[in-house]
Amino acid sequence: MTALTMPARPKRDAGLRPVPWRRMAWVTWRQHRAALGGVGAFLGAFAVYLWLTGLQMHHAEAAYCHPAGSLGCGINFTGRYGETAIIISIALQAVPALIGAFIGAPVLARELETGTFRYAWTQGIGRLRWTVGKLVPLAVAVTAAAGAFTVLFAWYNQPWAAAGYVTPFSARVFDLLGVAFAAWTLAAFAIGVLAGMLIRRAVPAIAATLAVYAGLAFAAGLWLREHYITPLVTHSTNLPGSAWIMSYWYTKGGRLVSRSAISQELQGDHHASVTHVGPNTVQTVLDPVRYLTQHGYTNWTSYQPASRFWPFQWIEGGWLLALSVLLVATTVWLVRRRAA
Amino acid sequence: MVIDKGDGAPGGGAGASPAGGRLHSDQHLRVSDAEREAATGRLAEHFAAGRLDQAEFDDRVGHAMSARTRADLNGLFADLSETGSPGVPELPRGGGSTPGGGPRGPGSPIEFRLDAASGVPTYLQLVQQVEHALRLGYLKPGDQLPKVRDVVASLAINPNTVLKAYKELETKGLTAGRPGQGTFIQATLSQVALPELTGLHKSLLGWLTTAEAAGLDQDGIVALFTSALRDFHERRGGTGDRRGAASAETEGVA
Amino acid sequence: MNVIETSGLGKQYGSTWALHECTLAIPAGHVAALIGPNGAGKTTLLNLAVGLAEPTAGAVTVLGGKPAGSPAALDGIAFVAQDTPLYKNLSAADMLHLTRNLNRRFDQRYAEDRLAELGIPLNRKAGKLSGGQQAQLALTVALARRPRLLVLDEPVAMLDPVARHDFMATVLATAADDGMSVVLSSHVLAELERVADYLILLSRGRVQVAGELDDLLASHRMLTGPAAEASQFADRPVVHVRRGAAQAHLLVRATADDPVPPGWEAHPVGLEELTLAYLREPGAGALPGPARSRNTQPSEVTR
Repeated sequence: MTALTMPARPKRDAGLRPVPWRRMAWVTWRQHRAALGGVGAFLGAFAVYLWLTGLQMHHAEAAYCHPAGSLGCGINFTGRYGETAIIISIALQAVPALIGAFIGAPVLARELETGTFRYAWTQGIGRLRWTVGKLVPLAVAVTAAAGAFTVLFAWYNQPWAAAGYVTPFSARVFDLLGVAFAAWTLAAFAIGVLAGMLIRRAVPAIAATLAVYAGLAFAAGLWLREHYITPLVTHSTNLPGSAWIMSYWYTKGGRLVSRSAISQELQGDHHASVTHVGPNTVQTVLDPVRYLTQHGYTNWTSYQPASRFWPFQWIEGGWLLALSVLLVATTVWLVRRRAA
Repeated sequence: MVIDKGDGAPGGGAGASPAGGRLHSDQHLRVSDAEREAATGRLAEHFAAGRLDQAEFDDRVGHAMSARTRADLNGLFADLSETGSPGVPELPRGGGSTPGGGPRGPGSPIEFRLDAASGVPTYLQLVQQVEHALRLGYLKPGDQLPKVRDVVASLAINPNTVLKAYKELETKGLTAGRPGQGTFIQATLSQVALPELTGLHKSLLGWLTTAEAAGLDQDGIVALFTSALRDFHERRGGTGDRRGAASAETEGVA
Repeated sequence: MNVIETSGLGKQYGSTWALHECTLAIPAGHVAALIGPNGAGKTTLLNLAVGLAEPTAGAVTVLGGKPAGSPAALDGIAFVAQDTPLYKNLSAADMLHLTRNLNRRFDQRYAEDRLAELGIPLNRKAGKLSGGQQAQLALTVALARRPRLLVLDEPVAMLDPVARHDFMATVLATAADDGMSVVLSSHVLAELERVADYLILLSRGRVQVAGELDDLLASHRMLTGPAAEASQFADRPVVHVRRGAAQAHLLVRATADDPVPPGWEAHPVGLEELTLAYLREPGAGALPGPARSRNTQPSEVTR
């Protein structure tokens, strides 16, 4: 009792060559060119703005700020561009998050949300190559764009650094300079990608990416960064302005003196009326430090010298890179074992 | 039943691609490098489509690059489903998958239809339609039945069903398959002469009048006739046709 | 060669088994229909076969023993999921290009010709096509891969009758041309009878019926007779009984050659009647090989 069957197909080649990577590259480009274009336009516009303002600032600084601190400098440079520069640098903090969220999160989330993964993961290339062929080029693209942007920002920031208004360690600019900006962008992308895979919906994944990134960025800036290298301690009062002061304290006779005792000492003498004492603050009547030193107190400061800027950059870049690799690897592993 | 009196589009179908060169007398002409390259490109398309395997492809490309005349190049495409060799005009790519399209190839005189509500199994309907066409003269010995894939494309039925019907017709001796070409009518049903037919028709009318007078309605008449037909066949011991009985035949020997 | 072969296959989601102890061997060269009510496990079975899901228990191999989801399996199987997913803002030409780039084998010419025949413009975004056109586009890119097995999950659920007919005509014509095997899941029983030649009935995550359609239909009869005598068949392989006060219909496992008890009539059974009867009798089954439940006889359906 057999039904008639159709003739079987002729045998195909047994050896299956894997689908070449450059073909997957086109796929990635075609599917994400809108998002990449959007980010490119956004960064481009920002870049143009930085370029134009930067030129003005450079001229002003060159013209008015030698010597630094002069009145002309204050009017034509600091006063004119200062606020803008601060706003810009704060705004730029958000850029890695935005790039990572809007490029990274939708990669997998959209496929899972719309069901197109049922098409994509049943094609001959296989889901692993497909995933890697998307994530790696996109990661490289966003990191490279961020890296290029850092160069522009360093140029933009240069008059301020030269005039001493911002130290390289300043929380406002540290993660916009060196390799940090690119590393943060990569990390945001990696967070976005994993969020997209876990949450499976684009909009919630974007939101989650932004939230997680913000948390991480704050944690790094406020707590983590301080601990990369053990700070130097000195009782010299002549620290260069570019150093990153971490903390200071006083001892007398080899013993630590509490702040309240210091305050009392100063207030008791009516010589210093500033409530905030520190080596770099603007003096009012008397230099409290000199006063205290004359009275037998030793001032200790822990700080990071400016020369440690690049080691700090590498450390921050390093752990961000490691984190990114871990997050992307986790995502790829999840793709591999994910059920429909 | 639909009778197709027109010509189908040429080309397409298994083994039906017209070989180049028959229609033109320029096959002895030399080919240029550009023509060889074009032929290689077309071979690559066939390879990508899976009609050639790697060894065949390499072999034919080698021949293409060393071809001297148009006949040489044409020969490489003889068994590929579209004429792609230079010097022959591109015939329209028949055998396309237009659903609901008519027959391809030289065209069969008949086209099938399907009555989904009749309760008669599909393959049996096809067999009956062929026999009916033979009886009425739409089909004559030598005519080709529609190609399996065309029937499938126009009726959206399982290919095995069509194959089963055609096999049944072959078993009955009505058709014969020619490999690579199709299925062709090779015999006719036993014809009854016209005067005899007229006589039978008349006596049937008489019987029907009697049946109606006895009180049978149409369904009753049909039931009575069907039962008598079955008894008649059983007494004679043949399988024969079981038309109207709406029963699927059990399969023959495996 | 079996295009899909499973042994004891099971898939658990949370605490429910969407598919349980599923053992099948779907032969090549057939159009196999996977039918069953919603939630029976059809989509789960198909997802397991095409590598979109991993089994919780048992194993599934495709195309003659290749592991589901392996590169060789992906190469030879084309899948069109429910609702025919496409990238809505890519044009039809882009979808072709995309599929060409994601596969080793792609017949660009065929795909373009098909779309031209269907009147689907190459530069229109997929999201702007009608439902029928989207289904045809998804089918075209699948068929252009020249698969050995085409798997369709409820392909025609959303289509109007004309689109349905055209879609199935394309699938079947390709099966006729290339010897491609087809496995499709569907609710629409009426059309399956003329389209399919192998049947798998899933119910509540288990395979209830599996076999060649012709064999299944030939091995069942509907006996109609006096309700009072219906119980005398207790020793026969009765699948399902429907009774009125005086008359009863029994779906039994018998062939046309089996003798009909006096006073009873025997009729052949169609696909829909057969399916509904089995669905109403969860304990009954018609499977190739050893019997699984009380109401079946062994080796009823063989290859």
